[in-house]
Amino acid sequence: MASTSAAHTAVPASQPPAAHKSPVPMRPAFKPSRRKTALTSPVAYLFVFPALAIFTVFTIGPTIYTFVISAFKWNWLNTSQNKFIGLKNYQDLVTGAIDPPFWSTLGTSAYFVVAMVVGGTVISLPLALLLQQASRVFVAARAAVFLAHVTPLVATSIVWVWIFNPRYGLANLVLSWFGIGNIDWLGNSQFAMPAIIIYSLWHEIGFITVIFLGGLATLSGELSEAAKLDGCNAWQEFWHVTFPQLRPFILFVVVISSVSSLQAFTQFFMMTSGGPGFDTATLGFQLYQQAFVFRKTGYAAALAVVLFGITVALSIVQLRSTRSIDTPS
Amino acid sequence: MATQADHSVSHGAVKAQGGRRRWSLSVRMLTAIVVALVFLIPVFWMLLTSVSADGDIFTFPPKLWPAWDWSNYARAWNASPWMKYFSNTVLIAGCVVALTLATSLLAGFAFAVMRFRGRGLMFLVVMSVMMVPQTVLLIPNFIIAQQLGWYDTYLIQIIPWGASVFGIFLLRQFFVTLPRELFEAAELDGASPLRMLFSVAAPLAAPSLVLVGLNSFMGSWNSFVWPYIMTKSDSVRPIEVGLQAFYGTEGTDWTGLCAAVTFTTLPIIVLFLFLQKYFVTGAYGTQGSVRG
Repeated sequence: MASTSAAHTAVPASQPPAAHKSPVPMRPAFKPSRRKTALTSPVAYLFVFPALAIFTVFTIGPTIYTFVISAFKWNWLNTSQNKFIGLKNYQDLVTGAIDPPFWSTLGTSAYFVVAMVVGGTVISLPLALLLQQASRVFVAARAAVFLAHVTPLVATSIVWVWIFNPRYGLANLVLSWFGIGNIDWLGNSQFAMPAIIIYSLWHEIGFITVIFLGGLATLSGELSEAAKLDGCNAWQEFWHVTFPQLRPFILFVVVISSVSSLQAFTQFFMMTSGGPGFDTATLGFQLYQQAFVFRKTGYAAALAVVLFGITVALSIVQLRSTRSIDTPS
Repeated sequence: MATQADHSVSHGAVKAQGGRRRWSLSVRMLTAIVVALVFLIPVFWMLLTSVSADGDIFTFPPKLWPAWDWSNYARAWNASPWMKYFSNTVLIAGCVVALTLATSLLAGFAFAVMRFRGRGLMFLVVMSVMMVPQTVLLIPNFIIAQQLGWYDTYLIQIIPWGASVFGIFLLRQFFVTLPRELFEAAELDGASPLRMLFSVAAPLAAPSLVLVGLNSFMGSWNSFVWPYIMTKSDSVRPIEVGLQAFYGTEGTDWTGLCAAVTFTTLPIIVLFLFLQKYFVTGAYGTQGSVRG
């Protein structure tokens, strides 16, 4: 491949296309043969064009545009009134001048992200260990757990709002069996976030479990056999044999759930609208609220830049973890 | 003698272990069943509420045996233009799937099999797109949609989702594994790249295509925040946005709401039950195109 690209760069673009396309360096240019050139034909550019065009217009361009918008006091109704204000939006971010203060939004996000990452891993890993056998009962249980992940967020958020109903909900019925009185789940600043976390875990655990199941399937059976022969009990085998081999998958899950929980929007929109007050207004929700409800577009773009920065940092960690999944040590 | 003793001891140990293992298997199965039921409780609860009499649900503790009042479904169905929402969703998801398959096949094939200048760089650009969260793109794309005159149209719900990093990546990975002789033979026969792609490569990629298609179908069907922001009329809005609007206006009609959630989610659940294998395999990829 290196030699082909060298040949390409050596031939100026003005040369006849047949010579330009040829993968064989010494072939006479005056006798163009169509036969052996199909795979080096510039048609390739037409092949990648549709995808690249969509990405350029709707992802790459807009990403750059976000940075631009974040430097303006953006006028929603009349863009000719936009005023360049440099880093003022970022200054508002750091000083917490705009309600809710950025640092409290970041704290709310951290609460949600940490709960999702820790809860997701701590519940899904034992679940994967439990369900890894191929017998029918376990396969059916896997389907039941994964089904939750398949459901649309809008639809099942509605069901869970009903479950968390302060007077007639299922959640309070379960609590009443333990002698605990009614809780106003979504209307109480202490319980609103835990309620959303419970719903989100219900929705995500099937997905994380499937990743761990994939990880468990790659483990070496020989090591477990050796551990058993050496007289390890189940816990020792897990801790000294299975767990170290699963470590890259755990890192993968940690990164992937951090990224998705940081962006989470729909369940907050449906279940609490960021409330009570701003108690469940995470970064993903704030971005929407500032831009489309409060019409502070420039400030919201600055929030988007922060979200983008954190995601890129996490994605770099993820790329490393994927690489270590490909080549297990 | 010593060996004999050893033998009998180990035999006993194996027997005991076998018994313990059988016992622990049934405990594991029981645990698995309980876990499955716990995860299904919200679904049961939804179905139960959807066929309860309106008066029955506003009691505490709730009644666990419903009145089988099916009129909730009729009431919910007549309260919103669901047929329009459904046909919009099918139209949008269908176009997104077709477009995604086409762009993924073309780009995946070019990146895997064809040789052109800038291939590595372009592939890097495609992969880097994965890092950009959708929420970041809402604000600029909302402005771009208005500038293009695409606000409140089908187009803004279809075109931006017509290319998928997951699709390109998966198909490229698949085409790379095909033997090069396959394409060199076709090349000698004078086949054009397009012909090679559609008569040689694409049929072999059928399982990957199902995965990519399903992934983008689910993404499209379940999407909410994008169509919610990019549209305002019922005539172009999809099912989840319609459901949210219904929730906004009928927020306390819980029996009707649960009925609406049931009939809007049923197609997805049926699809899942039929194509489970692909859903699970696709789980790794869904995150790349996950949509709120």
